Amino acid sequence: MGVTPTLLGRAALVLWLALPGLARAEPTEAERMARWADLRHAIFGYRVVEDAGDLVAIDAPARAEDAATVPVAIRVAETLAPEIRGLYLVIDNNPSPLAAHFVLGPIADAREIATRVRIDDYTYLHAVAETADGRLYATARFIKAAGGCSAPAGKDQALALERLGKMKLNLADRSRPEEPLGVKLLISHPNSSGLQMDQVTRNYIPADFMQTLEVTYNGQPVFRLESDIAISEDPSFNFGFRPSDPLAPGVIKAEILDSSQRHFSQSWPVPAAAQM
Amino acid sequence: MPIRLVSCSRVEAPIERQAGPLARAGLLLFFASIIRRSAVLAVAVVLGATASRAETAALPVTEIASGIFVHNGVHEEASAANEDAIANVGFIIGDQAVAVIDPGGSFAEGSALRAAIRAQTDRPIRYVILTHVHPDHIFGAAAFRNDHPDFVGHAKLPGALAQRGDYYLRRLQNTLGEEASGTQIVPPTVLVSDTLDLDLGSRRLTLRAHGPAHTDNDLTIYDQKTRTLWLADLLFVDRIPVIDGSLLGWLKQLNELTTISADRAVPGHGPVSVSWPAAEEPEQRYLEAVAHDTRAAIKSGIGIANAYRQVANSERGKWLLFDEYHPRNVTASYKELEWE
Repeated sequence: MGVTPTLLGRAALVLWLALPGLARAEPTEAERMARWADLRHAIFGYRVVEDAGDLVAIDAPARAEDAATVPVAIRVAETLAPEIRGLYLVIDNNPSPLAAHFVLGPIADAREIATRVRIDDYTYLHAVAETADGRLYATARFIKAAGGCSAPAGKDQALALERLGKMKLNLADRSRPEEPLGVKLLISHPNSSGLQMDQVTRNYIPADFMQTLEVTYNGQPVFRLESDIAISEDPSFNFGFRPSDPLAPGVIKAEILDSSQRHFSQSWPVPAAAQM
Repeated sequence: MPIRLVSCSRVEAPIERQAGPLARAGLLLFFASIIRRSAVLAVAVVLGATASRAETAALPVTEIASGIFVHNGVHEEASAANEDAIANVGFIIGDQAVAVIDPGGSFAEGSALRAAIRAQTDRPIRYVILTHVHPDHIFGAAAFRNDHPDFVGHAKLPGALAQRGDYYLRRLQNTLGEEASGTQIVPPTVLVSDTLDLDLGSRRLTLRAHGPAHTDNDLTIYDQKTRTLWLADLLFVDRIPVIDGSLLGWLKQLNELTTISADRAVPGHGPVSVSWPAAEEPEQRYLEAVAHDTRAAIKSGIGIANAYRQVANSERGKWLLFDEYHPRNVTASYKELEWE
């Protein structure tokens, strides 16, 4: 990565905070393109970023119902997926644009990874897939959503505190052992953005977000995620992987490090395919 | 002189303001504007805020039981035209004092509500009860600051205001423009974590703090004298309920609330007075349908983005603003129920 998400985020954050309450004029298409060119340069430097065409797609609603919880899936074509070792999700107009960087292990199924993000303004989303030999394929999708980053979190704050760091994992039904195993991972964490101001104290509520998430199967990496404030409260991930021996039982493990230097970890047994 | 330059979206009786000559003179300052300006603002510009108080026209209120007055909020989203007066708000008069139950959605509405109180009584406004964190109910509180009342809220209200207040205020300012001027966040000075009785003089109000339901900081008020149960946004009638606390928690609170015998209830949105508990049936039906269908969607692997299409479709057409709020309700419920 050319620039850490934190650095990129901080620069954009300063810009964002400098404009409180002002009605920002809607950027033109040319300005949006220029912004992506800047971001692309900040993240990938002078590397060539090819247009993905049909090879990579972003699945997201055209208009988000809740800007603080926008479901986004990155899809990679079957033909390209085995080569993919990295996926980037960029939310161009967010205060911290690089929302997620997945580093995929060899057993990961790169055909689809889904999560939920906060979106702060009408914006392009960019997904960039990176092959093992360093080629980059980008695709874009425009989305109408606003206010997600400073939007209120915590519908039930007592519950959020009580559940902090707990995880829940669901395995998809596996009728064909040769197919990748689908997994849904839920993490209870406020993943707060630090953009909410306490009107009484005039202090910003400190950011408290998941920095890394590592998922392994029998010790082999499925993916490592470097993330930021753009991931929604109670982060959710849908992903898949190919167990090296689907007919043997195994263990999925997830480990989290957050910005408050808290460490959370949880493991789940995976029964052998034949037993499912 | 009812001032209505924009009337397109109004579906119910407008909040009409009787503007005096001063207000009319002030209004000329805004002649070029196509947005309706209230007399409150016009006078505020000419004479300053203090003078405007005397000129503020009273918010229309209905006396639903002896000494209980309620303003009927319009079934709209907040806008400059409605000054965020979209919720049912009002006041209760005792022998010694007055309690405001929700000061309204903006300084302008709060001022008009205060004028409505002064049209009824000169007794001191001793309490301003803030039923929950949502702006349409409590962002008018600053209009009562000079009365030095106790601002009474749920023990979890300060935390919710800290999390959300700034966001709500900026959004209100963006939506209302100058109509939001004077609107400030007023934190509660008296907190309720279980129940609290307030004595207005020969009139006792029992306040009750609820577990997470509509929000995680809902307060209800029971007036023993008239057996009136003021539910605020724990009860929506006609307008679609908004789930911003806990779906299952709300159903639980309703189960408890329906055991209270009351001659009438005051919903946060809907008619100013309804029969209790009969009036809660549609809300309970909606919430149960959302719970049932969202669980089914999670179980069958339908994603959070598409779940709303299959949830509680039987309720479409039975609620105002259904399409504006239902998808968000399903998103919130999905996030709650996927942890089961």
